[in-house]
Amino acid sequence: MCAIVDVNVSNEIFGDNRPDAGEKFLERLNSGTLRLVVSKKLLAELNYGKAKQWIQQGINAGIVQQETSSTVDEREGKLSREGICISNDIHVIALAQISGARLLYSNDIALHEDFGNKNLIDRPRGKVYSTNRNKDFTNTHERLLNNRNLCRNR
Amino acid sequence: MATGLRKKSFMNEIRLRNYRCFRKDQTARLAPLTLLVGENSTGKTSFLAIIRALWEFANDYRIPDFKEDPYDLGSFDEIAHFRGGRGGRAETFDAGFSTTKKNLENGASKPLSRKFDVTFGKDGAVPVPVARRFGYGDTRIEDRFEEDIEENHIYVLRVETHRGRWEKRVSRGIRYALQDHMPPPHFFYRRLSVSGEDHAGDPGFVPLDGSPSFCSEDEEILREFPWFDLSSSGVRPFASAPVRSRPNRTYDPSRPTRDPEGDYVPMYLADVFTRRKREWTQLQKRLQDFGKAAGLFDEISLKRLGQRESEPFQIQIRKHGNKLKGPLHNLIDVGYGVSQALLVITELLRPDAPPLFLLQQPEVHLHPRAQAALGSLFCQIASKERQLIIETHSDNLIDRVRMDVRDGEVALKPEDVSILFFERDGLDVHIHSLSVDGQGNVLNAPDSYRKFFMEETTRSLGL
Repeated sequence: MCAIVDVNVSNEIFGDNRPDAGEKFLERLNSGTLRLVVSKKLLAELNYGKAKQWIQQGINAGIVQQETSSTVDEREGKLSREGICISNDIHVIALAQISGARLLYSNDIALHEDFGNKNLIDRPRGKVYSTNRNKDFTNTHERLLNNRNLCRNR
Repeated sequence: MATGLRKKSFMNEIRLRNYRCFRKDQTARLAPLTLLVGENSTGKTSFLAIIRALWEFANDYRIPDFKEDPYDLGSFDEIAHFRGGRGGRAETFDAGFSTTKKNLENGASKPLSRKFDVTFGKDGAVPVPVARRFGYGDTRIEDRFEEDIEENHIYVLRVETHRGRWEKRVSRGIRYALQDHMPPPHFFYRRLSVSGEDHAGDPGFVPLDGSPSFCSEDEEILREFPWFDLSSSGVRPFASAPVRSRPNRTYDPSRPTRDPEGDYVPMYLADVFTRRKREWTQLQKRLQDFGKAAGLFDEISLKRLGQRESEPFQIQIRKHGNKLKGPLHNLIDVGYGVSQALLVITELLRPDAPPLFLLQQPEVHLHPRAQAALGSLFCQIASKERQLIIETHSDNLIDRVRMDVRDGEVALKPEDVSILFFERDGLDVHIHSLSVDGQGNVLNAPDSYRKFFMEETTRSLGL
């Protein structure tokens, strides 16, 4: 299963005071059952030193997948020209399309809408892991982490 | 001649069974650059030892010496897998390799694969080959030693083509004597015949499993069989020891014969410096390019302590300052890493470098910057004509390989790199074949791969 983490919630996973939902998400990442997908742009936007260090080690260990920046940038340009996205995180949508990742950890409502837009993310549809309503590890969170159908084969 | 054969000798797969800590059938992918990683005592050095043994047996028909430096694996009892208790010790162990090349025949889509497998048995305390199997396309050639009820040794030669299978059996009467070399099966094609048979053509081959009689077409196929053969070239793989010789203040010239610890390297450098000026200029430049990239030295030179070639010499190193060139230092007076790395880089950069390198922890004593530079050097050197198989514990080296391949800094493609992860599994070891992709991602990594590092990082970050 592959996931993308919005930089705005990286502190919930890699920060000092993690909510339960973030703690469990990190547990899955550490266990290797959940694979993080990153792009160069996403890494550059990460202002959490701990997140960067963990991700770097994860790339070496083969549990974090890094996509080619040129491919993601090209797709982002295409999406920008098409004007379908309503969020300003078009590169996240581009990254999901290129990598096949279908789980997004984000609290950005506009990005949620884009990720749920069938015209942007499909086969399988995108799912959102959010702590907007509840920072505890809820049944919804658990179901998402147990969903094995959240990575599109390339 | 040798260059063409080198191209044919590129190994892309190793197979093992009941060898050292590898009990189950194991298949490991080799590439022009293969990195062996894993915890201590997981069989990485044993893996290097069997590669050398197979390479030499296939190419030079040299019966493997499992006690030859730098790999002293002991006697048969130490080499055959031992499970302890009822499992006991394996009576034989198997190893083999494959090479693959493009099939140039019209319309052929599958590449042609050559295979070589050996079964080792026990002769006294020593492991000896008791069976060999050569394969190419749909042709198989196998020879083996068997014993009849009177304990006579029988040499059995079995061949298989697309038409069928045949066998020759020859009683040798006495136990075969252990020799340095074991001639290839084609040596026996015409010399062997079963006693009492005397037909035209090749009478010794008896059809098996309802096969038709052995005919001239089969004979032609066997004659065309592409043997691994470097026996006339004198080429051997280069196998380095994990610990290299200590530097000396002065060296007395002697014969620069290769050895795993690198005692010969100063002699080799002196030989080139004295007798082959143009070669020295090129080698010196390449050594210095690496020295600069690694932060080890900017200049390397030799100083003769006399007028004649037979007189002692010193190796000198210079490290430049910001604006000043700095003084020349004797090799013994600079960091230990320089002399330890000198063996490996000289061997890699010399113009007559062998086609196969088996290196154990080339990074020892090197700063991470130099370890990374070594990774870049490996990427520049490795090719289908020069295969590097490297046992390493260096993250910096592996990272640099990953990045250089990803960034297209070298001709090496992602498929030209293999990472073999040796993982202990109870009393056995399992080899995982990992690869890298064009984005520098490590593919096919099991959860256990670098688990320790992830746990340390997570703990270090307080996560």
